[in-house]
Amino acid sequence: MSLVEVQQITKEYVKGDQKIAPLKDADLTVERGEFVSLMGASGSGKSTLLNLIAGIDRPTSGQILVDGEVITQFSRTRLARWRAENVGYIFQMHNLVPVLTAFENIELPLLLLGLSARDREKRVNIALEAVSLTDRADHYPRQLSGGQEQRVGIARAMVANPTLIVADEPTGDLDAETTEQILALLQRLNTELGMTLLMVTHDPNAALIATRRLRLEKGVFVESTPVTAGRI
Amino acid sequence: MLRYIPYVLKTLWRHRTRTLLTVSGTAVAMFVFSFVGAVQEGLDRLLNEQQQDRSLIVFQANRFCPSTSKLPEDYALRISKLPGIKDAVPIQVYMNNCRASLDVVVFNGLPAKKLRSVRPIVLQTGDWSQFEQQRDAALVGQAVARRRKLSVGQKFSIGSLTVTIAGIFASAVAAEESMIYTHLEFLQRTPGLHAVGTATQMEVLLDESADAQATSKLIDDLYRAGPVATNTRTKGAFQAKTVGDLVELVGFTRYLGLACVLMVLGLVATTTVMGVQDRIREHAVLQTIGFTGWHIFAFIIGESLVVSLIGGLLGTGTALAILQTSSLALGTEGILIAFLPSASLAVTGLTASALVGLLAGIAPAWQAARSEIVPALRFA
Repeated sequence: MSLVEVQQITKEYVKGDQKIAPLKDADLTVERGEFVSLMGASGSGKSTLLNLIAGIDRPTSGQILVDGEVITQFSRTRLARWRAENVGYIFQMHNLVPVLTAFENIELPLLLLGLSARDREKRVNIALEAVSLTDRADHYPRQLSGGQEQRVGIARAMVANPTLIVADEPTGDLDAETTEQILALLQRLNTELGMTLLMVTHDPNAALIATRRLRLEKGVFVESTPVTAGRI
Repeated sequence: MLRYIPYVLKTLWRHRTRTLLTVSGTAVAMFVFSFVGAVQEGLDRLLNEQQQDRSLIVFQANRFCPSTSKLPEDYALRISKLPGIKDAVPIQVYMNNCRASLDVVVFNGLPAKKLRSVRPIVLQTGDWSQFEQQRDAALVGQAVARRRKLSVGQKFSIGSLTVTIAGIFASAVAAEESMIYTHLEFLQRTPGLHAVGTATQMEVLLDESADAQATSKLIDDLYRAGPVATNTRTKGAFQAKTVGDLVELVGFTRYLGLACVLMVLGLVATTTVMGVQDRIREHAVLQTIGFTGWHIFAFIIGESLVVSLIGGLLGTGTALAILQTSSLALGTEGILIAFLPSASLAVTGLTASALVGLLAGIAPAWQAARSEIVPALRFA
């Protein structure tokens, strides 16, 4: 069974007197352990699809199954609990909570899992080590560089060991050198920790690190390229 | 939810100027609210004192201030022999101000031997024998002693009257603690008072079986054609009539108290709404991580509750501390209303703060909890 099954998903918005449909009867499957990159022009529906799979948006029609559960039928509260246990979300703009330190930002998802303070501390320290930010644990977001903030964002997404990590243009706000570091980190999550990743990107070079590359045009997948090796 | 408290507190601290201004405004309003509450409590205490329907006050008819009432002292002897009466005590009243004032000093002159039996006072310092033996001795209520910084052995003057303080007392009746008791004869001879052989009022103690209204009528009928006509009422009715104008004024202050609470509501609600508008994206991020709408609702209610409670704690605490140290009493025509700190004032102040905090947070918290995540994430 695939980890993610998107079945006949349509998403429509009403903007003024216009009906916009970024996704039309889209189908997609993502296998466990895959790293899928999703490309497409602005408005092609790639971020909409990512948000639907992450459970922060609802489709107009169709259904999405993640690990056998039909998340599109969940109530708002159940969907939130499901996200806490199953999804790690990496944002383009990092979106760290400014009043919390790097440690506290990473700890946030664990607060929802009912772990003891000692267990939380242990897991946060492992995540900080994974993103090489142990020495920045007590720093606030304003005291970190853009790349460091994104690494904290990645640590926050992975700390609860989610079923799926989704990344919405994770390098879109970073310079070339930092982009390389972040992409390498994402690749390690997939290859070393076996995590399943779904990444939206505008950057063809960034898409190359994925094990499968998809292109969306006007709400429909037009290309799917399996990759056997990493990028050159 | 305890593990989220640091987040709530840090969020408030992030906008510390705004938070501190809101806390200050709340504190000032709750200070006024508690002070108004103390005035109301003082008046209620005075008017609902137990036993005051078992005492009568006999005054000269048509008096408008204690100084205009001069009853022959021997009325007491005759009244005490009427049926249903345990005792009648002549009392000379002397005060520095007959009008409503916050710094009235009221002297009551009683026969020294009777003071102990008619007034529920307990000496804190000094001794009864010195009071009974020394002609110009006075027993001072501890509220006056605190306010005027008086101690035993000290001489104390108001106008042409000078007394030596023989003791400081506490009383189960709050207003009593703002009184000064001295000898009847000494007070009658105060220069300029021209009160020898007279008393301002008679306090009549009734038997358990006596009918207060009938006895009052009996006394007034007795002196209707006498040298000085009397007007007799139960102590409660006498006090209610004397402070009648103040009752209306204090009634009006209830609106002031209500206005303070509404002001706190507006202030805390505005701060909470601003806090929510500043963090639309942050709340969306939290929901993306897995926090439910109820978590967000609780965080915002928590913030509004903390601001309101800290303000309430500061305002109510300051008001109670000032009431405790200042021993304020409002006096009019020799009747004193003591403003005292009390547990009920503290509970009322903090409960009002908590309720206002909850109410102020509900609308913004609901709005934030129900907002859609994706549009909120795009919010700049």
